[in-house]
Amino acid sequence: MSYENKMMQLKQMLGKKQEKSVEKPAFKKPEKPWYLEEWKKEGLLVVENDFGILFKRQVEYPLDYLHGSYQLKMFFEAIDKWQTSTIEHPFSIHPDETVVFFDTETTGLKGVGTNIFLLGFLEVSENKFLLTQYVLADPSNEAAFLFESKLWQHNKTIVTYNGKSFDWPQLETRWTLNQHILPKLRNMRQIDLLHSSKRIWKNNLERMKLTQVEEAKLGFKRNGDIPGFLAPIIYTDAVKSGNASSLMKVLTHNEWDLLSLITLYIHSTNLLLENHIETATTYTNIGKWYGDLKQNEQSQNVLRSVTNTFNESEAGLAHFYLALQQKRNKEYEDATQSFHKALRSIENREKLKALENLAIIYEHHYKDYEKALENTLNGIELINHQPFLKIEQRTRKLDEWTKRLNRLENKLWGK
Amino acid sequence: MLNKKRTIDELLNEWMYDEELKQNILHWQTLEGQEAKFSSFPDKLHPSIKKALETRGISQLYTHQREAFDYASSNLSFTAVTPTASGKSLCYHLPVLQKILEDPSSRAIYLFPTKALAQDQKADLNDLIELMGEEVLSYTYDGDTAPGIRQKIRKAGHIIMTNPDMLHSGILPHHTKWVSLFENLKYIVIDELHTYKGVFGSHVAQVLRRLKRICAFYGSDPIFICTSATIKNPKELAEKLTNTKHELIANSGAPVGKKTFLFYNPPIVHPTFGVRRSSVLEVRDLATRLYEAGIQSIVFAKSRVRVEMLVTYLKSLTKNKIQDESIRGYRGGYLPTERRAIEKGLRNGNIQIVVSTNALELGVDIGQLQACIMTGYPGNIASAWQQAGRAGRRQDSALIIYVANSTALDQYVVNNPNYLLGSSPEEALINPENILILMDHLKCAVFELPFATTDSYGEFEVQQLLEFLEEEGVVIKTSGQWYWMSERFPAHEISLRSASQENVVIIDRTIPAGTKVIGEMDTYSAMTLLHEEAIYLHQGTQFQVEKLDWEEKKAFVREVDVDYFTDANLAVELKVLNEDKRADYETASVSYGDISLLAIPTIFKKIRFQTHENIGSGKIHIPPLEMHTNATWMSFDMPENWSEEMLTDSLTGAAYAIGSFIPLFIQCDRNDLSVVPQVKAVHNDRPTLFIYDSYPGGIGLSERVYDILLPILEQTIAHVKQCPCSSGCPSCIGAQDSLNESKGKVLKVLSILLREMM
Repeated sequence: MSYENKMMQLKQMLGKKQEKSVEKPAFKKPEKPWYLEEWKKEGLLVVENDFGILFKRQVEYPLDYLHGSYQLKMFFEAIDKWQTSTIEHPFSIHPDETVVFFDTETTGLKGVGTNIFLLGFLEVSENKFLLTQYVLADPSNEAAFLFESKLWQHNKTIVTYNGKSFDWPQLETRWTLNQHILPKLRNMRQIDLLHSSKRIWKNNLERMKLTQVEEAKLGFKRNGDIPGFLAPIIYTDAVKSGNASSLMKVLTHNEWDLLSLITLYIHSTNLLLENHIETATTYTNIGKWYGDLKQNEQSQNVLRSVTNTFNESEAGLAHFYLALQQKRNKEYEDATQSFHKALRSIENREKLKALENLAIIYEHHYKDYEKALENTLNGIELINHQPFLKIEQRTRKLDEWTKRLNRLENKLWGK
Repeated sequence: MLNKKRTIDELLNEWMYDEELKQNILHWQTLEGQEAKFSSFPDKLHPSIKKALETRGISQLYTHQREAFDYASSNLSFTAVTPTASGKSLCYHLPVLQKILEDPSSRAIYLFPTKALAQDQKADLNDLIELMGEEVLSYTYDGDTAPGIRQKIRKAGHIIMTNPDMLHSGILPHHTKWVSLFENLKYIVIDELHTYKGVFGSHVAQVLRRLKRICAFYGSDPIFICTSATIKNPKELAEKLTNTKHELIANSGAPVGKKTFLFYNPPIVHPTFGVRRSSVLEVRDLATRLYEAGIQSIVFAKSRVRVEMLVTYLKSLTKNKIQDESIRGYRGGYLPTERRAIEKGLRNGNIQIVVSTNALELGVDIGQLQACIMTGYPGNIASAWQQAGRAGRRQDSALIIYVANSTALDQYVVNNPNYLLGSSPEEALINPENILILMDHLKCAVFELPFATTDSYGEFEVQQLLEFLEEEGVVIKTSGQWYWMSERFPAHEISLRSASQENVVIIDRTIPAGTKVIGEMDTYSAMTLLHEEAIYLHQGTQFQVEKLDWEEKKAFVREVDVDYFTDANLAVELKVLNEDKRADYETASVSYGDISLLAIPTIFKKIRFQTHENIGSGKIHIPPLEMHTNATWMSFDMPENWSEEMLTDSLTGAAYAIGSFIPLFIQCDRNDLSVVPQVKAVHNDRPTLFIYDSYPGGIGLSERVYDILLPILEQTIAHVKQCPCSSGCPSCIGAQDSLNESKGKVLKVLSILLREMM
């Protein structure tokens, strides 16, 4: 039947509403899905609460469980390291905090029509790590599913991978839809390891997908993993067919994600707190991050260890960031030296900034107009001969630099 | 003497004795002005608002503004019909601001048909708020809104100014991020109501039903405030669009100055074929006269190309002056800063003549000008009055010159000034029941909130439609509720500006490394406009279609400069699927119902500009397209002693003539409806004229035609009879290849139908 013919049929189905007012009934417990037994057979537990049905799966891990290169218990060492260091950092965790690693699976990418169907939590429980996965029984049982997560009950520190812009807002959406029955979702502290990974491995890892970080940095390679983009179809199919065998693979996928979050946290902490140098690039990134956090001392320590360990071509960017800090601290001699060292190997964009800073230092601090002029001319040449700026930027920059040039020429040779 | 500054009245006095000019002016009519009608400020009007108005020099309201305030105060939705420059924005600003000052948690949505209009209105509103000295936050929310402030807007914005497209795909599917808006929504303002017609209006009707559904979920029940230009059925349109009962404010209290209308017909240069001098050249000459008299004027032209042509012509007036900006063009596609500069130039008088497309019909604030020239009839009375409304400063006389093109409608209007000046404007129609559009939005609605098996949607019972969606695999039913269950994001698959399922994307590959998308077109139009080798005009630039990938719906074009355009033929087969209404006469019958249409593109011709000679042709390789839509059709018996060939010619002519006149009755574009003759219709073997909606599923136009067929036929016959040509011309029954008796035969066919129906 053609689409048009179908539409013809539909047109016959379209009825006009008879005016009647239907009172919205109070909350009514949804029906139990017909596939309880089928899903149970795959290893899921059936949970029932005031709001309906959900499924649950729990796995325990001993403390010395090895996931990739790390044992899970090294997480405690990581917390100790933050505790003994004096550094303030958005990723440091205090021993008093209750930490939970958190990841969801959803039926789509955005919007109110996207359901969360799996809430995965991994947390410390007495002398072990405990994985708890809640599975949405069907959309009508959503309140039961959300309620069981206890996210309304206790304050915890939530560690995620891209949770700040995806999982948590999505969770808030689901909660808002059920706001008339559920207690309020708590505001919790969020640590997003995608954010730290981007800071640490910029220019080092090409993509920041968790599976790629695992392979490159955490010594873990997945075997038989289902790609995340299949999750929505698999869940929909499980609900329609009652067969949850593929769904269990999504649960495994989620489990691996959560285990890797722990080891990623351990690994990142080591990079941030120990003079354990991975590559010049990552370590320079870390130094810059501390700088941006105004942890100047720590930043300079890290950057210096890069400049001490690596040759000038590898440490160029470290010299550059160091120079910016030295200039900010009015250590003009050090700054000048560092900028000069940086110039030999950094990219054009930073190079232009270095030249600009040198021109400023020479002009305003040393009153050495000839040197200032020399750097200015180099800067202008860089703008003119290297096509790294967009047209508008280029015009604007040239404008600024030409002003500087004119001013310097006036200072040197008068009007 | 030539360059002396004159008033409108002085200029008209001169023109009275200008014999050359006068012979082209068919009618000359002056409408006397009207005094302003005032009401006092409402007692409860908040002192801050009063203060702001007084600072602006307003010490009382026009009657319609007061009426608006009173309706809103009594919680009644209403529609205000407001001519240009009547202070319509106060009709909604006052109640909205009053409510926010009474209860700062209150929220309002302002809906403008385009992004640009929302941004224009923002400045005006912010100015008012500043004068009030109160903290009322108003923001535009559209594709241009910076991500950084979106969160603040969602949480704290009192007034959200947006457009239907953004509401449809950027706000409603994410309603949980707008809780404070939807929980406290008191007013939904729909400005420029009359623009919500046809396909676009039918889509927006659905968007508003979704909006109301979400409001109900959050417990709010907002009032609708609509403002509209003059159309025949503002109340009906508003009620259909919003599915809410409306009060009507029909009379404006704003003052109207004296207006003089001139109906100007370019002289005939080729009497046999009825060819007239180009209206563009006439407008150039008339605008030159106005310019030399120092009269600030606006010239409307129908297309962007014509705007550019006229600007080029007129700029020769100022070519000896350095950096003269007194003549400017204005159309869509200009940058916002450029448009702001032009608007300012018009207000402060630096710009003396502006040439514009209908972009300036809508509520852009350019102050009032002295004269207005319309190059061709804008297509409907409502637009004509909007354009005319641009001329007329409070006390001064205004001059409006309508210059006719040679099309049938234009010629009719210039010969029948009472049509424009005396009759009520057309109806604006929408069809919220268009099943294709409705189904699309039903998907969005389930996405946004589940449906209970007892729920309806707007005025519709949709349970069976939801079952259909379940079969399609995008919703599931559990525990008596329908839920969206698909990874798709339905709003992204629907464009509000077209009813067809898929659009053809137009890709410019003039610069191989810099290919870019320059537009989209619905598949049906694409068959005749984007076939390979077609010349496609975009913003006045010619492109040739190099390759059409029909499977992928992509047309690759390259910029060219040629002296011809292309015209494609479409063979149409029509099948009646269902007859809903039928009237039988002695030998004729008229029906309305569902039809299926098979469009088969055949050949295209290359036609040279100016001379219109045929300089080549080719075959079109596009598979036939099937469409289901609504139609009204008339069948009758073949007149005795007629050959089939005679019948074909006369039916074609009759179809042309009827098609040209439908826009006289219904506010729609010439292309929204098609009139197609069939010498032997498939379903009854009789000569039949089909009038169908050009959009899948129909948008309610042909159904209306069924009701008003009689007056349409009467008008058509009268016009064809009156047309001064001898045997048919583009102004009546279409261009004729040879001098035969077509015109008489067309009249005969039309008269048979009319006689039967009387």
